[in-house]
Amino acid sequence: MKSFEYFKVKTVAEAISRLRDNPDGSHILNGGTDLIIRMKENHLHPDRVIDIRGIEGFSDINFSEKEGLFIGACVTLGEMAHHKSVVEHYSLLADAAEMVGSGQIRNAATMTGNLCNASPLADTATPALVLNAVVIVEGLTGEKEIPVNEFFKGVRRTSLEKTDVVKGIRIPYEANLQGSFHKASRRKDVDLSTVCASGVKIGDEYRLALGAVAPTPIRLPQVEKFLRGKEINQNTIKQALDLIDEEISPIDDVRSTKEFRTHLAKVLVQRCLEQMV
Amino acid sequence: MKITFTLNMDVIEHEVEPNITLLKMLREDFDLTGAKEGCGGGECGACTILLNGKPVVSCLMLAVQADGQEIITIEGLARGEVLDELQKTFISTGALQCGYCTPGMIMTAKGLLAENPDPTREEIKTALSGNLCRCTGYKRIIEAVESAAKSNG
Repeated sequence: MKSFEYFKVKTVAEAISRLRDNPDGSHILNGGTDLIIRMKENHLHPDRVIDIRGIEGFSDINFSEKEGLFIGACVTLGEMAHHKSVVEHYSLLADAAEMVGSGQIRNAATMTGNLCNASPLADTATPALVLNAVVIVEGLTGEKEIPVNEFFKGVRRTSLEKTDVVKGIRIPYEANLQGSFHKASRRKDVDLSTVCASGVKIGDEYRLALGAVAPTPIRLPQVEKFLRGKEINQNTIKQALDLIDEEISPIDDVRSTKEFRTHLAKVLVQRCLEQMV
Repeated sequence: MKITFTLNMDVIEHEVEPNITLLKMLREDFDLTGAKEGCGGGECGACTILLNGKPVVSCLMLAVQADGQEIITIEGLARGEVLDELQKTFISTGALQCGYCTPGMIMTAKGLLAENPDPTREEIKTALSGNLCRCTGYKRIIEAVESAAKSNG
C-alpha cells in the first residue's frame, strides 16, 4: 500500500474541508472492506484518506412511521441486518445486508459504502431502489437529498461531487409493503451476486430492481408499468418475464455469461413476483 | 502517527504509519503471530480478531483505525496457563490439522458465542462461513464449537 496522509475527522464540516483541500487526491474511509483491498492492489492510491467513523450521529439508526428509517453512514451491515425495525418493516433490506460477504465483513462494511462504491452487483442497491431510498448528502453548498434512483451513473460512478459527504440513507415507511430480495451466486455464503433482485408490492403498484445485469443496479420500468393494477398469476408473470430482455444488458465475465444472467434475471424476478401472491 | 488502544486488555500507546494494516502491525510490531494473512482480501478469515467484541478481518483494517478501540487476538484468550474453552475443545475434538486457520476460526467462534451462547449447528456453520479451512472438512471444527457452547452453558 502506498503511503498517504490519514485524517480522523470529528465533524462533517471538517471532512468537507479536508476534501476541498485536495478533491482529486482524497478518499473517504468508512468500513474499509472495499477501499483497503483496492489500495493494497494499487487500483486506488489516494494522497489522503479521510476516516469519517468518528463523526457524531454517523452510527445512528432510527425508525418512525412518519420519518421512515434512517441509517447513518457508518452503521455496519451486521447491525442493520439485525435491527428490530429493519427486520420488521424492511425485511428485504435485512435479507440483502445479510448476504454481503462474511460475518466479519458485515461487522465493518456499511450500506452507505455499498451504495457509494456503485458496483453493478451491490447487494443493498436493489432493495434501496425498490424502497425509493434517498441518499442524504452534505457538500460545499449545504445539505441535499439524492433519490437512489438518480444516484448510480455507471460502473463505480455516482452523482456525488468530490467534496460531498454522505451522512446516511433515508427510506420511507410503507404500511402495506410486501417485498423480497433474491440472490444467485456461485456459492451460498461469502460470494458476489451473479444476479440479484428485489421486488415490492405496495397496493396495486409493483416495483422491481435487478443487480449485475447492467452497468448499474436498475429498476424495471416497463415490467412495473405492465404489472400495475394487475393480479399476479401464471399468465401475468409470463408476460412480465418476456419484457425483461428489453430492460437489461448483461455481460460475460468471470462469474457468469450474458445468457445465464438473462436466465437468472427472469428466475429471480419470478421469485419476487410469486412472493407477492 | 500515534495511536492509543487496548490490546488484549493492556492499554497501548504506539507509533504506526497510516499505510500499515492492523494485521501487519499486530504481527510485526507486537509479535502476535496468531492472526495469519491468508488471502489478504477478506475472504478466508485467517486474520480474524475481535474489534470491540465483534469478529472482523484485520487485513482490511488500517492499524490507525484501532485508535480508541479494543482489540483482542487469539493470544488474549487464555488466562496465563488456562486456555479458553474454545481452545480446549479445538484440541480435545481434534479440530485442526495444519493449524493455519485455527486462530481465525476460534476468534470468529468466540464472537458467535458471546452473542449467541447456545447456537444451533446451522448457526455455527453460518457464523463460520467466512473462515476457510483446507484440511479438516469443517466437521470437527463445528463439533468443537458445539462442545465449547455446552461446557460454557
